[in-house]
Amino acid sequence: MKIDRRCFLSLVIGGAVGTTLTPVPWKLTDDIAIWTQNWSWTPEPEDGPSKFVKSVCTQCSGGCGIIARTIGNRAIKIEGQPDHPVNNGSLCPKAISATQHLYGPSRIQGPMKRAGERGQGKWEKISWDEAISTVTEKLAELRTRGKPHSVACISDTDRNSVAYLLDRFLRAYGSPNFIRTPSSADAQELALYLSFGRQGTIGYDFKQSDFILSFGCALMDGCDAAGQMMSAFGDMDKKTRLVQIEARLSDTAAKASQWVAAKPGTETDLALGLGHVMVRDGLYDKAFIDSHGFAFEDREDEAGNAYPGYRSLVRDYSPEKVAKTTGLPEKTIESLARAFARARRPVAVTGFSNPAAASVNQALAVFALNALAGNFQKPGGVFVIDEPDYLSWTEMKIDKTASAGNQQARIDGAGTKRFAHTRYLPNRLPEAINSSQGDSPVQALLVAGGNPLYTLADPQSAKKAFEKIPFIVSFSTFMDETAEQADLLLPHPHFLECYQDVPTPAGMAKTVISLARPVVKPVYDTRHTGDVIIETAKNLGGFIENAFPWKNHEDFLKKTLSDQWETLEKQGYWTDDSSRDNSLEKLFRTSSQRFEFLPRAGFETQGSENPKSKVQTVSLPGDVNELPLVLVPYSTIRISGGAVANTPFMTKTVDANVIAQQDVFVEINPETASEYGLSQGDKATLKTPAGNAKVRVNLFEGIMPGLVAMPAGLGRTGFSDYIAGKGVNVYGLIAPAADPASGLNAAWGARAAIGKA
Amino acid sequence: MAQQPQHTKTKRYGMVIDLDKCTGCGACMVACYAENNVPFRQDDSDKMRSLNWIRVMKVDNGKAFPDTEVCYIPMPCMQCDGQHMQGHSPCVSVCPAVATDYDYPTGIVSQIYTRCFGCRYCMAACPYHARKFNWWDPKWPADMEKYLNPDVSARMRGVVEKCSFCYHRYQKARDKAYVEGRDELHEDEYQTACTQACPTNAITFGDLYNPEHAVHSLSRSKNAFRLLERLNTNPKVYYLSSKSWVRRVADNYLEGENPEQVAKARKAAATH
Amino acid sequence: MTTPAIPEGVKRCSTRQFTLWLAVVGAVLLWGVYAMFLIWYKGLNQTGMNDAYGFALWIWADLAVIALGGGAFFSGFLTYIIGKKELKSIINYAVIIGFICYSSALLILALDIGQPLRGWFIFWHANVHSMLTEVAFCLSCYFAVLTIEFIPLVLENPKLDRIPFLHHLSHNMHEVMAVFAATGVFLSFFHQGSLGGVAGVLYGRPFAFREGLLIWPWTFFLFTWSAAAVGPCFTMLVTWLTEKITQKKLVRPEAFELLAKISGWMLLTYMIAKIADTWYWAAVTAPARGFSLMEFYSNNPIYGIWILIAELVICGIVPALILITPKWRENKNLLVTAAILAVLGVCINRWVMVLQVMAAPLLPFQDWYMYMPTWQEVATTILPVAYGAILISLAYRYLPVFPHEKELNPGQ
Repeated sequence: MKIDRRCFLSLVIGGAVGTTLTPVPWKLTDDIAIWTQNWSWTPEPEDGPSKFVKSVCTQCSGGCGIIARTIGNRAIKIEGQPDHPVNNGSLCPKAISATQHLYGPSRIQGPMKRAGERGQGKWEKISWDEAISTVTEKLAELRTRGKPHSVACISDTDRNSVAYLLDRFLRAYGSPNFIRTPSSADAQELALYLSFGRQGTIGYDFKQSDFILSFGCALMDGCDAAGQMMSAFGDMDKKTRLVQIEARLSDTAAKASQWVAAKPGTETDLALGLGHVMVRDGLYDKAFIDSHGFAFEDREDEAGNAYPGYRSLVRDYSPEKVAKTTGLPEKTIESLARAFARARRPVAVTGFSNPAAASVNQALAVFALNALAGNFQKPGGVFVIDEPDYLSWTEMKIDKTASAGNQQARIDGAGTKRFAHTRYLPNRLPEAINSSQGDSPVQALLVAGGNPLYTLADPQSAKKAFEKIPFIVSFSTFMDETAEQADLLLPHPHFLECYQDVPTPAGMAKTVISLARPVVKPVYDTRHTGDVIIETAKNLGGFIENAFPWKNHEDFLKKTLSDQWETLEKQGYWTDDSSRDNSLEKLFRTSSQRFEFLPRAGFETQGSENPKSKVQTVSLPGDVNELPLVLVPYSTIRISGGAVANTPFMTKTVDANVIAQQDVFVEINPETASEYGLSQGDKATLKTPAGNAKVRVNLFEGIMPGLVAMPAGLGRTGFSDYIAGKGVNVYGLIAPAADPASGLNAAWGARAAIGKA
Repeated sequence: MAQQPQHTKTKRYGMVIDLDKCTGCGACMVACYAENNVPFRQDDSDKMRSLNWIRVMKVDNGKAFPDTEVCYIPMPCMQCDGQHMQGHSPCVSVCPAVATDYDYPTGIVSQIYTRCFGCRYCMAACPYHARKFNWWDPKWPADMEKYLNPDVSARMRGVVEKCSFCYHRYQKARDKAYVEGRDELHEDEYQTACTQACPTNAITFGDLYNPEHAVHSLSRSKNAFRLLERLNTNPKVYYLSSKSWVRRVADNYLEGENPEQVAKARKAAATH
Repeated sequence: MTTPAIPEGVKRCSTRQFTLWLAVVGAVLLWGVYAMFLIWYKGLNQTGMNDAYGFALWIWADLAVIALGGGAFFSGFLTYIIGKKELKSIINYAVIIGFICYSSALLILALDIGQPLRGWFIFWHANVHSMLTEVAFCLSCYFAVLTIEFIPLVLENPKLDRIPFLHHLSHNMHEVMAVFAATGVFLSFFHQGSLGGVAGVLYGRPFAFREGLLIWPWTFFLFTWSAAAVGPCFTMLVTWLTEKITQKKLVRPEAFELLAKISGWMLLTYMIAKIADTWYWAAVTAPARGFSLMEFYSNNPIYGIWILIAELVICGIVPALILITPKWRENKNLLVTAAILAVLGVCINRWVMVLQVMAAPLLPFQDWYMYMPTWQEVATTILPVAYGAILISLAYRYLPVFPHEKELNPGQ
């Protein structure tokens, strides 16, 4: 066969056309591409009717109003509630990403009992009936043995309905051991009680103030009032001066008009130094002090004992001396005091440092500045908000066992002679248990929020103490560090699945009650802790049962908030604008009926003669030569330092020079780093009296030489693989140090050494 | 600066971010992840492989303690108008398969995930690293798929994605306006998720052409500038800062050059 | 009677030796194929690339093999269009090398995309403004042309040639070859240019961006020019290597001589243009965007000014001077050195235009982005080398690649 050109060309062209005309290859190519566009493992979210539900975030005590967007029974997204008086629509990343926790792998999906050793992570699913009867039996047994006071309850709040029910339960049952987990609010509330004689929270009118003097507050760094603070900062006009006193250039310091880099732990001295200048130059509100101040001048008591007043106290805090303590130029101290005094509506702020500790003396010293400025109950000033009064039910009848149990001393030592005015001393609980001979003084522990094994100051000794407690029940929504060590898990629903009242958050200058409510139907087999308490009380019978005449938590809440319920249901919050009394006349409920610069209540408990000795700062243990640096924790809004850990989204926002893979970076000044031969990204070993940690180094000009700063909120073991195992818990490296005035933990750092690993 | 075309309804949606107000909290990032179904990973610390439609950069003035200053710069997709303001954004002109396009009515640069075949040329072209590649199959553990937003499709492995200025929100608002017989959207009807989430209101969003929208005057203020303006990408994301050092790190300058003068010269050249 | 598979009148090594060689290279090939499947199955997370480094080792390999494969089109251009008969001695081999280079490039491209099964969208949804579209179209067309150019050679295998249909097919294809060669040359000029355009049009990347003529940045022309200059060097280098391995003379010295001379002049003129381009970029284009030259070559662990000197002087001017000087290029050692340098130079150029472009920071607060390829990337980049070695071995053994082999090796 001979092929000519014609034949050849027709073959080639014919072949090509023929192939093109066969649909098979084309169809296949197209189908394969379509398949890649519809991979079954790439989810396709289902559409449905969309709704916006008003609620409130309860992941910290901040109480920010939210709007949850739902599609059918799915919670899609959390947004700020623009008209909410607390946050005016502002939210922190944790609130925004709450749906990740709602549906995430950290959830405990139903009641379970421990199947293996403690902490082994082996669990057996049980029914709610079995779970509740296990608790009932254990509690009944302890009561029969006459040991109701060996039951303790830890909660992250003492202010909402669940806390109220728990406390009521303990009192009806016979235990005084209701304990609130530690926070920087402890010292604030105690100082408020000592100097104002009131139990409640302090509010600051940031939006109207023109000079905000912040003593290391994590205003924009993830304190529990983040939504409130950021909303206020957003509204501030550029003339308002925000001054941040802090050794590290935090985000608050970065946003401040002035960053005053005082040495850490010297805030009290600085506050007294500023007071010195104001008093010396007569730059204070004489009228206020004359009519409402107590112990400003030296005084004598009825017996004729002389006590120095604030004026004599601050005499020792001359700018020259304070400059040495704080490392600040004298000029800065002088000008800062004058600027504060001359501002029209100045306010000095302390606390808000989640979760770092603070001393009562620091709080008192800062309160004194506000008193000097005479800014109480004034626009742009300081307001006192009482504890919520809606949770006051008539006293119940209790039996003898209960009354005997209630009269026992608290295991944590709060309210004893030594710490008469301190309500809770959670950080002393581990010590009390660990130091006891024989059986643990706590025989059963109910943990309703607060995740103490993460949030207590000394996690190692807390864990040791928990090992000695024979029966631990966790009500946690998540498999947190505490739930991991529990015997019984009775999961509480996520806050997007249930009702919860939220009282006025700290920092708010007016009363606001908010209501969290079911945005979606419960995803898992959970039960409200309030319901479990009420049912357990009913199971125990007798006086205990009679103390709980409610069907369930929702019934209790509706009856409790009967006046406000309708408003709460409609707008998500209730606020008390009309009844507000801004007069100073009834403000102070101290024994002097005045603002006490140097509170008598404080000194009486300590039986000290010389109040000057009270103004002492907590010094750090350890050998300066061996541990030449100081480790300080810092909070960042992108890492949750509290009971509820980060969401994966939050961790995702964290920069690679804060967390890289499993490692946490410590911030260190380049000058200090070069002294120790460290460069950016180096792996290093950090040593403190409390322990060692492997870290990496991030050089940062914005931190005081000689310091090592580590973010709080890392080193988790619980929750999920997305959260656990990143970095170390900085509080494991900082041994707690008791504030002599209150017993509260006031350790602000730890001596440290760092070396290349 | 191009003038608004006469007698058209063309919009030029843009953003003005006040860096003096940005606290670096990351709410914009998280709101964006939630709104746009951005996946996450167990270890997301390799930031060059982490999906982000808006990233908040931390920059400092390079001065030693205690004169150090820090500024956060949130960087979404800059939605560049491109050289000569004709929609030839650096990325759009290079995409071989028209998987990314410039939407003339809004000025928004789109990304079609089902069209993209993952050549990553657009990523090479974008000077802001605003474009991100799906290196892995996305995964939502436990019941997390339930929170996915039905308005935004989840992306498969092997394609590029980026900030869309929440275009789905624009579509919803436009549809609503259409039903109500309106031609124009109100300023607050269409806002991006990050704008809405910013707790200090540092972000303002709207139509840069519309004098009634806040961004119109903000973008023309004395302190306004854009990132890498000298590359002629013409971004629609403007920044405000009262600090001159911030302005200096927002673009490249030769020794002896000063940002204000360069900006002035640019403006003069543009009006010619 | 059976026809031997080996072309008539030439000597080849034993089947045993040949199999052993294939096994060794085949093992390397299999390693690459394994990596290739890993990448297709698990995705591009198997590479060292990231969002800053969207283009990396593979794109460099693509650009480099296409530049080196440029020997095929430029030799074709010289042989068929200009009519340089001397090159008939080497043109077959140039085509084979080109075929290997281009098929490798296509394979790597198929690997380098996140959604390989949608790769055809580049044709279906083509964006005419994109340089990559231009590359894809020209590349595939030119690959088709190379295939057509390669087929007749394959058909000349003695066994195949005995089949009358194939014999006639081959004959007819030979007749129309000039048309294909011309088409190929045209396509090649374009896609070599488009590849240069890929980096040059990136006006958001001051390190890469170049001004130009109409829609084409200067890199468009520089890439074509450099491929034309260095492609023949690579062809010579591979031929020389083949001669060393086979210990035979395969190509007439005139062919070498001519290719070297043309290559030298091309290289010299290219270098003049390239230096002018670099000067204009450093003095005008980059400063207008706020960058000074040294910013592109400092504060990073790799990219110092050495790389520019290496590319322009050591691997540019030096080989060009050797090749244009008759006395020097007649010295085989010097010629080979020059060819190696020129090949290195174009590889450095392609590296710089891909990887340094990605590495250079754009905002003053950014650092250089660094990248480390994974073994999967390295294996798949070596894969084409192994594949090329196998194809060359097969072609050399079974096809009459070198028309003058018999004449140059009498007595074998």
